[in-house]
Amino acid sequence: MIESVEPDRASDFTRIGRNGELVLDYIRQGAKTILSHSSSRSPWHFFPPIPLDETGAVYTLLVNPSGGLVGGDHLVLRAALGPGSHVLFSTPSANRVYRSTTEPVRQEIRLTVGAGAVLEWAPELTIPFAGSRFNQTIHVALEHGGTLILWDALAAGRIARGERWGFTSFDNEIRVTTPLGRTVLERYSLFSDKVMCGAGLAEDWDYVASLFLLNEAVEDEVWKRLEEKILPIIEDRQGRVLGGVSEPAVRGRVVKLLAKSAPDLNATFESIWAAARALLWGLPFPALRRY
Amino acid sequence: MNTLSLLHGLRFIDSFFPSGGYAFSSGLEAAVQGKLIQNAEDLSRYVEDLFERGLGRCEAVAVGLGHDAAVTEALQVAVGADRELDAMKLSRDARMASRQMGRQILRSAVEQAESSATVRHFVAEVDTDRSPGHLAVSLGVTLGAFGWSRQASVAAFLYHTAVGFVSASYKLLPIGQREGQRLLVSWMPLIDDVSRRTEHAKILTSWSPIQDICSMRHSQLATRLFRS
Repeated sequence: MIESVEPDRASDFTRIGRNGELVLDYIRQGAKTILSHSSSRSPWHFFPPIPLDETGAVYTLLVNPSGGLVGGDHLVLRAALGPGSHVLFSTPSANRVYRSTTEPVRQEIRLTVGAGAVLEWAPELTIPFAGSRFNQTIHVALEHGGTLILWDALAAGRIARGERWGFTSFDNEIRVTTPLGRTVLERYSLFSDKVMCGAGLAEDWDYVASLFLLNEAVEDEVWKRLEEKILPIIEDRQGRVLGGVSEPAVRGRVVKLLAKSAPDLNATFESIWAAARALLWGLPFPALRRY
Repeated sequence: MNTLSLLHGLRFIDSFFPSGGYAFSSGLEAAVQGKLIQNAEDLSRYVEDLFERGLGRCEAVAVGLGHDAAVTEALQVAVGADRELDAMKLSRDARMASRQMGRQILRSAVEQAESSATVRHFVAEVDTDRSPGHLAVSLGVTLGAFGWSRQASVAAFLYHTAVGFVSASYKLLPIGQREGQRLLVSWMPLIDDVSRRTEHAKILTSWSPIQDICSMRHSQLATRLFRS
């Protein structure tokens, strides 16, 4: 459990970064998911959830109106999904991380998915500018019977400017834990120094992403069928996308992707996401408003 | 380290030891079939990248933590590293291969290192599925119990892995034994460097998306010589 971040002091004019915290608790009420509690502190901006479709699921846009993250920013998001609730999180645009000569950006995401709840975490990708420092942790407590679809994508930089793998540091940790003690963990630390620099062989690609599709209560046969649907989606983009799918230590599937372009990456993700929604719940791909 | 300790430990590093490692290519077979690796130079880049950013920051650290556990008799350090490594191995084939090889080492080590409480207790944790028994941690615990230094244990693990890649490459690529030896020699400074760098490391991290993807793709290959 992480501590709440200290609010910014109005008199502290020397500090550039901001401490922001967004807390969102959802419960299922009748056939609908509703927000039962919320609080928000800048730079987060609270947007009330909107109905996603006719199933009672809701869609929450995570908005940071400052346009990006600056060194010293410390953003915390806590979201708890009560049993049977269904929430889709996304962002209106890419998560831009600006250059910092000193402090890193810290972004801490803490998610709880109750029994029978569904969490779809599908933010736009993160773009670390040259010279930026980013430290993100996403921790998910996945109760038995809860479903998690978690997408996390990274661009090499501002590709259109010819900026690739120029950030100073990029630390990322995604940890999913279950009540049975099984865990899935992805943790990497990229940095430039005199000893080890850059992203190595991956530098031939401009986008890297991971997709976690997990539910301990779903039969393995279902996950195998999903894997069979995912494989041709990846193979159809041979040369533009390199990807693999496998079974992690928690029941479900994990997909790793490298892509040459953002459209290729997004199209691959959306096809896999659509296949998962259709197979797991018989639902179509969601029509997301980005504004 | 005395000569007897050296010999006891060498047994587990030797490709003669029946860990089953010969059956695994660690994603190399998929990389070759996918034309990511076509010659010795490609193989060298692939392995060096893995040692620099992937295995060298993940399994190598797990070896060190296993070693720490044996030396300080802190069983939970080994179990913690073993579980963490299991969670980080996203490819099922890689996870299962590592567990199988680790358990083979432990089975043999416990007969020989009965005086080590950590080895005995770690084997008990693995036998009751409270710890997965991955190769890196099992080797670290074993070599630590036999008196090897932390740095030498990490270097031995990396050398063992390098030999596995070269051995698999003989079947998959136009690489002969002299070329294989040249590759091993060329990786030695890096192995030495990584084992020094991880001397005090406690946190497992890994950045090897290409090698991870190759490992994931292996199970879908139409024809396979290896099990991973």
